[in-house]
Amino acid sequence: MAQAALGAAGLHFDELNKLRVLEPEVAAQTAQLREECRAFVDKTAEFQKIVGSLIEVVDQLAKAAESEKMKAIGARNLLKSIAKQREAQEQQLQALIAEKKMQLERYRIEYETLCKIEADQNEFIDQFIFQK
Amino acid sequence: MRLKTSLLKEPKHILCHRKSTQHDELVSCVGWTTADELYSCSDDHQIMKWNPVTSETTRVVKLPDDVYPIDLHWFPRGIGGKKQSQAESFVLTSSDGKFHLISKSGRVEKSVEAHNGAVLAGRWNYEGTALVTVGEDGQVKIWSKTGMLRSTLAQQGTPVYSVSWAPDSDKVLYTSGKQLIIKPLQPNAKVLQWKAHDGLILKTDWNSVNDLILSAGEDCRYKVWDSFGRALYNSQPHEYPITSIAWAVDGEFFAVGSFNTLRLCDKTGWSYALEKPNTGSIFSISWSIDGTQLAGACGNGHVIFAHVVEQHWEWKNFEITLIKRRTMKVHNVVNDAVDLLEFRDRVIKASLNYGYLVVSTSLQCYVYSTKNWNTPLIFDLKEGTVSLILQAERHFLLVDGGGLYLYSYEGRLISSPKYPGMRTDILNAQTVSLSNDTLAVKDKADEKVIYIFEALSGKPLGDGKPLSHKTEIVEIALDQKGLTSERKIAFIDKNRDLFITSVKRFGKEQKIVKIGTMVQSLAWNDTSNILCGIQDSRFTVWYYPNTVYVDKDLLPKTLYEKDASEFSKKPQIVSFVGSQVRIRRADGSLVHLHISPYPSILHSHVSASHWEEAVRLCRFVKDQTLWACLAAMAVANKDMTTAEIAYAAIGEIDKVQYINSIKDLPSKESRLAHMLLFSGNTQEAETLLLQAGLLYQAIQLNINLYNWDRALELAVKHRTHVDTVLAYRQKFLEDFGKKETNQRFLQYAQGLEVDWNKIKAKIEMEIAKERERAASSSSGRTSVTVQQ
Repeated sequence: MAQAALGAAGLHFDELNKLRVLEPEVAAQTAQLREECRAFVDKTAEFQKIVGSLIEVVDQLAKAAESEKMKAIGARNLLKSIAKQREAQEQQLQALIAEKKMQLERYRIEYETLCKIEADQNEFIDQFIFQK
Repeated sequence: MRLKTSLLKEPKHILCHRKSTQHDELVSCVGWTTADELYSCSDDHQIMKWNPVTSETTRVVKLPDDVYPIDLHWFPRGIGGKKQSQAESFVLTSSDGKFHLISKSGRVEKSVEAHNGAVLAGRWNYEGTALVTVGEDGQVKIWSKTGMLRSTLAQQGTPVYSVSWAPDSDKVLYTSGKQLIIKPLQPNAKVLQWKAHDGLILKTDWNSVNDLILSAGEDCRYKVWDSFGRALYNSQPHEYPITSIAWAVDGEFFAVGSFNTLRLCDKTGWSYALEKPNTGSIFSISWSIDGTQLAGACGNGHVIFAHVVEQHWEWKNFEITLIKRRTMKVHNVVNDAVDLLEFRDRVIKASLNYGYLVVSTSLQCYVYSTKNWNTPLIFDLKEGTVSLILQAERHFLLVDGGGLYLYSYEGRLISSPKYPGMRTDILNAQTVSLSNDTLAVKDKADEKVIYIFEALSGKPLGDGKPLSHKTEIVEIALDQKGLTSERKIAFIDKNRDLFITSVKRFGKEQKIVKIGTMVQSLAWNDTSNILCGIQDSRFTVWYYPNTVYVDKDLLPKTLYEKDASEFSKKPQIVSFVGSQVRIRRADGSLVHLHISPYPSILHSHVSASHWEEAVRLCRFVKDQTLWACLAAMAVANKDMTTAEIAYAAIGEIDKVQYINSIKDLPSKESRLAHMLLFSGNTQEAETLLLQAGLLYQAIQLNINLYNWDRALELAVKHRTHVDTVLAYRQKFLEDFGKKETNQRFLQYAQGLEVDWNKIKAKIEMEIAKERERAASSSSGRTSVTVQQ
C-alpha cells in the first residue's frame, strides 16, 4: 500500500530498498540502454578503425597500380621506339655492309687480276722450258 | 716512288669522345692550330681548346651571349718569310652579321659589322692578305688583313652557304643555291658557273695542291670537280644531307660528314672507310696540318677526333701497314716474316721503293733498308711536317713547308735546290720528279715551266734556264736508268698530250717530241727506261721512248698496246716495278698487269753493249716489237751491224740498204754523219762534215736533200764545187721541166758552163781524197793501239 502511495508521490523503492525517483523497471531499462549505447559506440569506433586501414590499403594499391600503369606505358613506348632504333641501327649496319661489300668487290677484282698474272707467268714459264 | 700515297689503304678511324667538359649545345666549327691543338666554338658561346694527345680540354673564352658562332678559320701560318710555327689568330663569323678577329688567347681583337643576317662562312686566302666572307644576304665580301672592306665581289638573291679560295688566291668559289660559282677577283674576268647539285649546296672546298673542288649538298651527295667545273666523281645518295666536307692539306684524301656519318675518301672520290659514330650531324670538319688526323664539330655537342691509320705500302715482296699511329707492320710475303717497327712520334709520311723504307714522323726521319728492319738510320728533321717523300735509287727527297731537301740513304744531306718564288706546300708526286742525277719541279707560278736541277749539287742544270713548253704542264716524270747525258723527261700537258724531251740541252733548244695523246697517267719503269701510260682507252707501253730521237717512224712498232676499257674511266697508274704495272681504277680497286719481261732484259743487254746477246734474245723471242726496239737501240748506240740485222728482221729493207751504203762509206766522219742523217739530224750531220773538212760531202748532203740554197751557200762560201751544185740543180730542173727562178742560182749560172765530165772527175777526186785520208788516219790509229 505504502508503496502505492509512494508511487503516487513519485517515489519508489528498489530491490535494495533504496529510495528512487524512477520506477525500478524504468531505471533498469535505462541502465540497460546505457550499456547498449556504450557497446554501440565501441563497435562504431572499431569499425572506423577497420575502415581506415582498409582505405589506406586501397590507397596503396591505387598507387602501385598507377606506377605499374606508368611503367607499362613507358615499356610500350620503349617497345615502339626500339623498333625505330633497330631500323636506324639496321640502316647504319646496312651502310657499313655496303661499304665492306664495295671493299670486297675491289679485293675481288684485284685478286682476279693477280690470278690472271699467275696464269700468264705459268704459261710463260712453260713456254720458256718448252723452247729451251 | 709511286707507291707512296694512293696505295691500297683502308684507313679506319679511331674515335674518341670526350664526355667530361664538353659543350652543352651543338658545336658549330672547329680549327687546328698545330698538329696537336684544336679550337672549337659552340652555340653555348664558348671557345674550347682541345689537345687530343694529352686528352686535355680547356675553356679559352666565353663570348657574349648574343654571339652565336658559325664558322672559324685560322690565319695561315708562316707567311712572308716569317716562320711561325703556329697560327696566332683566327676569324670567327657569327649569326649577328659580324665577324670577329680573335687572338690565340681568346681576346677579341676586332669585331666588324659585315652582313645583314648571319655571316655563314669566312676564309683567309693562302697568303693571309685577304679575307672573304659570305652571308645570308647573298653577298660575297673581300676584306683586308685588318678587317677593312675592300670590295663586294658578288651579290645575289639567295644566301651563300660556303666559300673557298682558288690555289693561287685570285679566284673565289662560292655557292648559290644549287649552283657553284667561280669568280675571279679581277672585275672583268670571266665567271664560271654551273649547276652542281639537285639540292641546296651546303659546303665546298678547293684544294691548293691538286686543284680539285669538293661540294656537298642537301641532295645527300658529294661530288668532286676539277677547276673547270667538270664532274670527276658523283657519290651515291646518302640517307641524310651531307653537312660537311673537307680536303686533307696534301690533297690525297678528303673527309665527308653527315648525320652520324664520317667517311674518308680518296681524291678520286671513292671511299676508303665509313664510320657511324653517335655524333648527330657533323657540321664542320677540319684536318690537322700534317694530314694525319681530323676533327669534326658534332650536333650533339661533342668534338670528334679521327686518325688515319692502316695506310698500306707495297714494294716487290714487302707489304707494310701502319697498324697504329706509331707502329708499322712489315710483312715479307716470300718467307712470311713479320717485323714490327715502332716510332717515337706519330708517322706522318712514308715511302717504300728501291729497297728502302723512308718514314717521317713529326720530329725525325727514319730510313730502313729492306734487308735489315732492326737498325734504322735516324736523323732529326729541320722543320717537321714533311709533305712529300720521293725516292730514287741512290737518294730521296723530302719536301716540307720550307724547302726541298735531298738526302742520301746514309742520311747525309746532299743538296737543297731552290728556285725563285718557290712554294713547296703545293708540290705533289705529279709535279716533282726525282732520278739518280736529276730533280725536276713544275712551278706553280708559271705552269708552262719545269725547273731542272742537278741532284748532287742542287744547282740548276745547264744554263740555268728552266725547260719551257707551249701549254700548261700537268704531270712530269723523269726516267730512272741510263746515262746522265741521256736523261729524259716525259710530261703531260693541259691538253693531255704526252711529250718527251732530253733534260740536257747543249746550246740549242732541245726538241720536245709528242709521243702520245689523251694520256691520263704515266709512269717510268724502275729498272729500265720503259714508259707506260694510259692513252684514251688503251694501255700503252713505250718500250724504248728514245726511238723518237733515232727513227721516228719506228716508234709505233716499239709500242705495246692493250685495251684499257676494262679499267673503266680515268684509271691511274700506281707503280711500274719490274714487269708489273699496278693501276688504280676509278672505283678504287687495284688492277695488276704483267708486261713482257724481254724488253727489260734487252735494255740491260744494250746498256752493257752486249749486242750479240741482244740479237740472240730477239731471235729467241721472235717478236717484231722487240726487234724494232733493238733496231732503234742499235742506231742510237751506232752499232750498225746489229741495226742491220734488226731492221732486216722487221722487214724495213730500205733502211737495211741505207745502212749498207753507210758501211761502204770511206771515212769514219761520213759514216757518223750518215748515221745522224739516218736519225733525221741533218743539221748535226752537216756540222760534223764541215768540222771534218769534208766540204764536198757536206754540199752533196744538201744537194741530196734538195736543200739547194744551203748547198750553194756552202759552195760559194768555201769557193768549191759551185759548178757541181749548179749542175745538179740544172739536172733537177730539167727532170721536172721547170725554169730557174731562184735569183742566186741565176746569178751564179751566168757565164758558167756545166761540164758533167769535169764534175764527175772532181767528185771522184774528192772521194779518193777522203779514202786516202781515212786510210792514213786509221793506220795512225792502229799504230797507236799497237803501241798501247
